[in-house]
Amino acid sequence: MFGKGLLTGMRVTIGHVFGKKVTFCYPEEKLEMTERFRGGHLTMDYKKCIGCQLCAMACPNKALTLKATQDAMKKRHLTSYVHEMGRCLYCNLCVEACPTKTLAWDKNYAISSWHREDMNHQVLTDDDMKYLEKAMEDAKVAAAKKAEADAAKKAEEAAKAANDGGGAAN
Amino acid sequence: MNEFNDNVAPKTETFVLNMGPQHPSTHGVLRVELDLDGEKVIRVRPIMGYLHRGIEKLLESRTYAQGSPFTDRLDYVSSMNNNYGYCHAVEELCGIEPPPRANYIRAIVAELNRITSHMVFIGSLANDLGAVTGMIYTFRDREEVLDIFDLVCGARQTYNYIRIGGVAQDIPQGFEEKVRKFLDRVPEFMEEYADLLNGNEIFNVRLKEVSVMTKEEALACNMTGPNLRATGVPFDVRKVDGYGAYPEFDFDVPVGENGDNWDRYQVRYKEILESAKIVRQALDGMPEGDFMAKVPKVLKPPKGEIFSRTEGTRGELGFYIVSDGTTKPYRVHIRRPSFISMQGLNPMCRGGLIGDAIAAFASIDPLMGEVDC
Ligand code: SF4
Ligand code: SF4
Repeated sequence: MFGKGLLTGMRVTIGHVFGKKVTFCYPEEKLEMTERFRGGHLTMDYKKCIGCQLCAMACPNKALTLKATQDAMKKRHLTSYVHEMGRCLYCNLCVEACPTKTLAWDKNYAISSWHREDMNHQVLTDDDMKYLEKAMEDAKVAAAKKAEADAAKKAEEAAKAANDGGGAAN
Repeated sequence: MNEFNDNVAPKTETFVLNMGPQHPSTHGVLRVELDLDGEKVIRVRPIMGYLHRGIEKLLESRTYAQGSPFTDRLDYVSSMNNNYGYCHAVEELCGIEPPPRANYIRAIVAELNRITSHMVFIGSLANDLGAVTGMIYTFRDREEVLDIFDLVCGARQTYNYIRIGGVAQDIPQGFEEKVRKFLDRVPEFMEEYADLLNGNEIFNVRLKEVSVMTKEEALACNMTGPNLRATGVPFDVRKVDGYGAYPEFDFDVPVGENGDNWDRYQVRYKEILESAKIVRQALDGMPEGDFMAKVPKVLKPPKGEIFSRTEGTRGELGFYIVSDGTTKPYRVHIRRPSFISMQGLNPMCRGGLIGDAIAAFASIDPLMGEVDC
């Protein structure tokens, strides 16, 4: 009978009118992002970062711009870490390249912005900057201490050498 | 002075109609120039390049490992298969052998991706023929696989999961369970699609014995994949080359008979079931072990060139890579099956009606990201 197929199709659609809903009301309800979800802003545990720039080198689109400084103890600290989200492919290569596993995604999927500048996300927070200041100060103190200790050691060695020298002369 | 002469019979002229580049049934941005004689199509010329992003050139300015996220953007409905093709080529170039577990995981994700891609095909074919609800049904079930991919690699469309030497991460907990649940549902929703579309009289009239392509024509156009198989040639790179873990699986290659729209639809419909079969076997036989081979951090393939092919969703996906011994490829060329299948549009549509051009176009299942590269 012509039209039988059409009716079968109709039956399927009508069945779904009374069936279970498969959608839900965003934004009243929100989905939980999965553990491996890549998206949103990059976050980092500042204390763990060693400023090696491997993340920036792994990035295929040069989306990461890092600035680093050295403290008095010759340890590197980041002063700025800009993630240009407009260039980012969300490929996860930076996160995987990090040797100390400090990078992660914040899984925020609502990241649209009005202006282009807003897409340049500064990953480091104010707390990180405070930590940096303190680390620099601490390093200075530590360096001074170390210098003192080195000087003392040197003096001691020199004295010892002088003594030894004196002994040999005798 | 009178220009109207009643004694001369009315003359007809051919008429050129531009379809696209922003036409909902061109699946992206493609312009098709149709030469029409009344309602009859005389010639079809696809005009490409509206989505050209220069991916081949981009790959040449990146290291080998950095290249794989760009291949996601070729055929963005089945990125896993593109990742697979690219990584397979680089592995052959460097002589890296992925571990068996990686091959199994690859087969699972690639076949799941093939299923979703064919779902998009069925949905958009129905949509192009006027059955808008058809699209919603397939997209509903596609979601389930996308959720699985989200679990595996954290992305729903541009996965970058298959990497040179293996896969990026091992499969997570709960993965197998979810995939099995999906596989159990496959016959159920395939039957629903069949109820919805296969018996539909309009669908039948629009597809059966329309836009026929013979074996010879398809081969002359260099077509591969489901479009070639619909004409009756059982050519499938998974069977012919037997790369990865595919020789270990038992699956059939569905073929058509007439090479009409209906066969192109049916071949893909059956391929979903075959892919589901492969995924089930891969889950059952999943070996333990590493998911990544030992790949040097700085990959420097030896000087030389390679052409490697895999079975993408839309046909034979080939990567031609020339290495000059540095960290970046000297030249990359991608053989994109959609691009080549587009050449079949003219022989298919010639002599048909203008409305059938839309159906023929949908039945080739081209993807603009892959056509323009
Ligand atoms: S996700 Fe990829 S593109 Fe984005 S910053 Fe990291 S490496 Fe660069
Ligand atoms: S790779 Fe990791 S440790 Fe190195 S600079 Fe980047 S975030 Fe810091």
